[in-house]
Amino acid sequence: MRATFNSQFRDAQVSLEAASERLVEYQTQVASGKRVNKASDDPSAASAAVKQRAELAGIEQYQRTADSVTARLTVIDTALSDIVDKLTAAQTAVVSAQGSGKTTAQRDAAARQIESVRAALVDDFNLSFNGTYVFAGSASTTPPFPVDGTGAISGYNGTTTEVEVDVSDESSVTVGLDGSAIAQGSAASDVFAVLTDLASAARSGDAAALSTGFADLQDAFSRATAAQGRVGVGMNTVEGQQSRMTQLKVAGAAQLSRLEDADLSKAITGMSHADAAYQAAMGAIGAATKRSLMDYIG
Amino acid sequence: MSTLFSNLTFAAGALDAQRTGLDVVGQNIANANTPGYARRVVDLAPVGPDSPGGAGRGVDVTDIRALRDRLLERRLQQEVPAGQRDAAMASALSVVESSLGSGGATIDASLDRLFNAFADLAASPASASTRQSVQLQAESLASAFRDMAGRFEDARHNADSQIRSTADDINGLTARIVELNRAISASPSAEASLGLEDEQNQLVRSLAELTDITVLDRSNGGVDISTGNGAALVVGETAYEMTTASQPPSGYCALRVSGQDVTASITSGKLGGLLAVRDVNIPGYQDQLDTLAYTLADQVNTLHASGYDQTGAAGGEFFSFSTTLTGTSGAAAALVVASDVASDTRKIAAAGTTDAGDNQVARSLAALRDSRVLDGGTGTLADGWAALVYSVGRHTKDADDAKTSREAVVNQIDALRDQVSGVSLDEEAMSLLKFQRAYEANAKFFQAIDQAIQTLLQTMS
Repeated sequence: MRATFNSQFRDAQVSLEAASERLVEYQTQVASGKRVNKASDDPSAASAAVKQRAELAGIEQYQRTADSVTARLTVIDTALSDIVDKLTAAQTAVVSAQGSGKTTAQRDAAARQIESVRAALVDDFNLSFNGTYVFAGSASTTPPFPVDGTGAISGYNGTTTEVEVDVSDESSVTVGLDGSAIAQGSAASDVFAVLTDLASAARSGDAAALSTGFADLQDAFSRATAAQGRVGVGMNTVEGQQSRMTQLKVAGAAQLSRLEDADLSKAITGMSHADAAYQAAMGAIGAATKRSLMDYIG
Repeated sequence: MSTLFSNLTFAAGALDAQRTGLDVVGQNIANANTPGYARRVVDLAPVGPDSPGGAGRGVDVTDIRALRDRLLERRLQQEVPAGQRDAAMASALSVVESSLGSGGATIDASLDRLFNAFADLAASPASASTRQSVQLQAESLASAFRDMAGRFEDARHNADSQIRSTADDINGLTARIVELNRAISASPSAEASLGLEDEQNQLVRSLAELTDITVLDRSNGGVDISTGNGAALVVGETAYEMTTASQPPSGYCALRVSGQDVTASITSGKLGGLLAVRDVNIPGYQDQLDTLAYTLADQVNTLHASGYDQTGAAGGEFFSFSTTLTGTSGAAAALVVASDVASDTRKIAAAGTTDAGDNQVARSLAALRDSRVLDGGTGTLADGWAALVYSVGRHTKDADDAKTSREAVVNQIDALRDQVSGVSLDEEAMSLLKFQRAYEANAKFFQAIDQAIQTLLQTMS
């Protein structure tokens, strides 16, 4: 084979280019820490990474939603505990007004006690968290139990449709409760009317009305604890989904890293290999073109 | 019988012949780096005696030849266009690829942020700030689509202007080839046209880099050249110009030779690569992007229209298009947030009922992230973007890989051609030595004859 002047250089140039290209490739990997810096580096991995990132974005959003849902459920739970406490206090007051030996003053005190519970309950039911009335169903922008100038409540202003928020791709949690289901349920009148009636029954010493009202309060108590139970279940759901999302996120991030990230030890080894090859190619060119027969003819 | 005087004459001829050999060596060394140059050799032949009993009358230079392998040169003309097509595609597509941005930084990120905003809206449907965030993210997504569509269109324009300048380059080359055809046919001797043929070869190769051509040798040493589908570019001493004509409505150019549209027939060379990128690759990406934009707008609008905004009115359009579309074509470039939503965040329909705090539509909108709405219900919107990233990445990588392997093939053939036509400095040094020594010996011979004549002349005096 004839080793011609041009072909010597062409071959050398090709191998030099290849070596320097590999070197740059590894350098980019080491500098960026990524194996896939542009789609053509690995088209399948690049497109899988797009999907993986979308998945991760969804998971992270569910995590953020879960955090805000937890805060809201905690507030609702506190309000329901308060409602339960108030109802118990009202029942105690009713008991203190019952019996033939009670004085007017004692009955008046009980009536005032019941009225103060009613006022506190109105506040509890009209609780708003971050501008959202939590016992108003989906009509959450207005108070569910509006009080007029005389202190009377015209009725439930919210909706029976509750508001649910997704905390994962498969489960949702109720964060806007139907207030009427707690305040009234299937009873003839709501808890506020019951308390108003109880207060006047205490003042007048109407034993029959007091005991009917006491039973009504008992029903309201059951409805409130049932609602609290639902909120508890909701919190458990959120917690369960949060831990699932954390796992998914860890797995997803690991997958994304496998797709995109450079194996640094490999990249660094590759870089030093490529560097050696590059230097060798340059050395070879220098050595091969140094000698020629021209040097020997005098 | 030769005489002493005729000996002197042919010794002078032999000196000439060796000097011609030195000339050829000099020419070879001088052109060691000249592209397209084929190594020259000098053909020497002994001159027979003019009468019986003579040894002969020295040496004669019968020819100076260029060592060429026509077959290899034709192979090169066939391989070069394909390599250049892949190179042109790889370079044009890498521009498209770079416009995709790094992973998680363009349309995919904007999509995610819009869905996040929808999810936040579902959590607080009445909040002014979540509504504002939905509005902002929608604007940013629409503008990301418009930007991307703009970049694709820019890349197409870029390819188009390169096509136009390549056509100019082709015309420049064919004009020079025609001049060479003329010069070669007018050349007084074969030796005189050797240099012209070197140049012709190099020009034909340059032309083959630009487009696929068929080359026919003419008997007088010239060449006829036609495009892949047979439209003549060079016939003898006439060149036929390749013209570019802007086509409505896109304004991209069609290529014509002698009035015939040859655009579709050019499949190779730099021109073929650029045409493929302009007419096949990028339109394909635009299609994918348009489908994605259209499906997004369509799905969001359908859900949005099923709901109620904050004023209690039925939801209107969420996204709209700034131009009237035919199918999905141009959807990405025309995607905007509907003016109602853009001007008033209360017009975002988050509720499935007229109640202000309802979030059913916002939940459905957020769930669109995972809905399989593309490709006949098999892909999510993120999948659509992933598919586009894959297409661009795959095509760029394929073109790049093909370029590399074609380059290797061309290098191989170049090396084979060099085996025949390349200049080896060692070989030339050897020839140099050979002709130098022969010249010295001939000079000695000349001297010897000269002395013999002088000896004779002295005996006479």
